[in-house]
Amino acid sequence: MFDTLIAFIIDALWSCVAALGFAVLFNVPRRMLLGCALVGAVGHAARFLVLHAGLPIEAATLFAAVLVGGLSAILSRIYQTPALIFGIVGAIPMVPGVFAYRAMIGLIRVAGADTLLADERALLLSGAAINAVKTGLLLGALAVGIAVPTLLFSRRKPVV
Amino acid sequence: MTTDALKRMTPIDDNDNFPDAVKPPLDRDSLRDVIDLALWAGQLMLAHGADTARIEETTHRVGTALGATWMDILVSPNAVVITTTSGEEFRTKVRRVVALGVNMAILDAVNALSRRIESGEWDRVAVRRELERIGAMRHDYPRWLIAAAVGAACAGFSRLFGGDGGAFAVTFAAAGIAMLVRQALQHRHFNALIAIIPTAFTAGMIAASGVHFGMTATPEPALAASVLLLVPGVHLINAMRDLLMGHIVTGLVRGVTGALISVCIAIGMLLALGALGIQGF
Repeated sequence: MFDTLIAFIIDALWSCVAALGFAVLFNVPRRMLLGCALVGAVGHAARFLVLHAGLPIEAATLFAAVLVGGLSAILSRIYQTPALIFGIVGAIPMVPGVFAYRAMIGLIRVAGADTLLADERALLLSGAAINAVKTGLLLGALAVGIAVPTLLFSRRKPVV
Repeated sequence: MTTDALKRMTPIDDNDNFPDAVKPPLDRDSLRDVIDLALWAGQLMLAHGADTARIEETTHRVGTALGATWMDILVSPNAVVITTTSGEEFRTKVRRVVALGVNMAILDAVNALSRRIESGEWDRVAVRRELERIGAMRHDYPRWLIAAAVGAACAGFSRLFGGDGGAFAVTFAAAGIAMLVRQALQHRHFNALIAIIPTAFTAGMIAASGVHFGMTATPEPALAASVLLLVPGVHLINAMRDLLMGHIVTGLVRGVTGALISVCIAIGMLLALGALGIQGF
């Protein structure tokens, strides 16, 4: 239990660093950096807890993204700025960069697969496919989760 | 002049007989001004990473608050088209947009601008001045700070993936230096997509050298995290947002852009791993 708590805090700290780094890259105004750190840490740490409870990563990401979306809506009121800023920065630590990377590496390796045995080829292709599907599902979970406040509470008629 | 005609010419604010949509019609010159300003706001947003629904909403708000009766807006991945209507008159204009990278300060400023127009605080002259200021806004943070922040962010990712202290150091150096390379290439206007390959190659080379010289016991987190600065997170999230909100075309284009960037990252990384003869990642 104590170990989990320590791991949870460490997870929150590192995701805080990751969110802040990308906030600087995206030129988020200084006065909002604190909010960015908060939303980044809360999102990833929440996902850590849900994963720890034994749920699959897709469900955990959806849960965490809903939390990020709600928090972004609150922060956007406080800072008088688009919720999108906090939504994106909060989602960045959960973007499936490694899955996307593995999928692409796997796909490019297929080019050299003619020298491999049949078993190895199958492994290469299925590995790439698994990672690609995971990437898509996680991105979908992130986008839907962040949009939940909009989808639920501001269902206006489209303006255009 | 009859009182009726006079009534129609005066601005309507406290007349309950008129619905909200009835505004004093703008002449052609004013309408040109309105479309210009709305397009400018839309262009700034599209170029700096806003999603389609937000661009439509904000440009619509800008145009109608400046006096147009209605705005028809088409956001394509690299252009914005707007038709403004006022009374019997309408005008249409296309503005080509080149993506310039995510800049949240600009999105924040355009949003604040649209609120001020809506509250009636600013007229067209003030809006033009503010848009000029926003368009000339430079990056808030110095280059070295961005490189250090991105290095720290990727190093943080390596810890999240279970890397050790050595992985942290290696990733920090690899991602930080790769960011400097990326800034240098962007500054010299190299093709944005192709420039990803040397950037990923740099990150891969430094990370793989660190692994090669035994600086870390956890090679995979170090290698994977060192190229995360290039991952098109905003493209991919916006792609999904657009698809979700029914903007299928812009969503697909953003998704394909994200996939192409990922391919370039993988090519650069594989070149680096191949150059150092490292297998299995």
